[in-house]
Amino acid sequence: MDFIDYYKVLGVDKKASTEEIKKAYRKLARKYHPDLNPNDVEAEKNFKRVNEANEVLSDPEKRKKYDEYGKDWQHAEEFEKAKRARSQQSGQGDFGGYTYSSGGSAQDFSDFFESMFGGRSAGFGGRGQRVRFRGQDYNAELKLSLMDVYTTQKQTLTVNGKNIRLTIPAGIEDGQTIKISGHGGPGVEGGPAGDLYITFSIVNNTSFRRDGPNLYKTVEVPLVKAVLGGEIQVETLTGKVKLKVAPGTDNGAQVKLKGKGFPKYKKEGQFGDLYLTYQVKVPKNLTTEQKELFEALEKTNLK
Amino acid sequence: MKKENYISIETFCKRHGVGESFVYSMYEYEILQVENKPDKRMLHVEELPLLEKMVRLHNELDINPEGIQAIHHLLGQVENLQEEVAALKRKLDVLK
Repeated sequence: MDFIDYYKVLGVDKKASTEEIKKAYRKLARKYHPDLNPNDVEAEKNFKRVNEANEVLSDPEKRKKYDEYGKDWQHAEEFEKAKRARSQQSGQGDFGGYTYSSGGSAQDFSDFFESMFGGRSAGFGGRGQRVRFRGQDYNAELKLSLMDVYTTQKQTLTVNGKNIRLTIPAGIEDGQTIKISGHGGPGVEGGPAGDLYITFSIVNNTSFRRDGPNLYKTVEVPLVKAVLGGEIQVETLTGKVKLKVAPGTDNGAQVKLKGKGFPKYKKEGQFGDLYLTYQVKVPKNLTTEQKELFEALEKTNLK
Repeated sequence: MKKENYISIETFCKRHGVGESFVYSMYEYEILQVENKPDKRMLHVEELPLLEKMVRLHNELDINPEGIQAIHHLLGQVENLQEEVAALKRKLDVLK
């Protein structure tokens, strides 16, 4: 755990007045505020740092303590107190292999802060407790394999002791988020509950590349079959199929297998296509006989 | 629609410590919808996450309603661009 120079975080002098600190905080808060930087993890981290620095420096008592102890903050007593506070105030949790975090994570403070001031206060910008009415939104990530989302799945999640039956439509995209209304944090004084947002992380451990409902794969075609034509066997997601290769097939030629792709999201029974790119395989390690045959071919002036 | 899906503007403002004029200015700038019920004007709960975001920008960063309207417009553009970038990245992965 490292010492944090809160003056440096806000870019102010150690003798800065309350007004100067407030001004510096406002300036940085406008730059890093999570509402102004959607999906920006770096900005959120910076905002937390700035918020924490302000929490300490805008409070005369905390500032005094911080200035007094400075780098010698690590007293055993404080440390113990912080540990107790942390165990009581854990804001994140696991449920059945999924992780979630509350939407208001901008109020999490560093271990340094907690060890010095014992626990976290929900103060914001020196204006006291953040007012809430609607419950917090929860965010969760659900990891599934590509084959898991080939079919529509029904799963039961447990969030805060409540079971939620979830239907995951086939064909859901990697990074797609679905909202489950009313399953976030409870509202305050009759306010509505927040929502639960589940973002899907789809791990593709197949040999197919996916773009929406379409799948792509490169398959090898032996040289002789590419020249003379013939039949090859290829893998699709649902099994092997036989394909006719036309005589004179070029390297890099593409064929489309209609309906052999991935299910279309929320369009039951509809599938994308499978695109196969042929890669003509040039034979190596020829036998003497094969080599002679190629030499004979060469003499025919084949181009 | 069930009754509990609506919250009166008065209740919302009391809870968040903002004047009702703030909510009406958000309505005027077409950032949110206000429902006219027989007895009072209500907000649909679906509007709350957006309105609470606007209240935070107003209270925490001292941004006035005009600034909030501009931010709302630009944030919409940012989110669209982020979605487009994510879709393009996925396409690039396919080509790799």
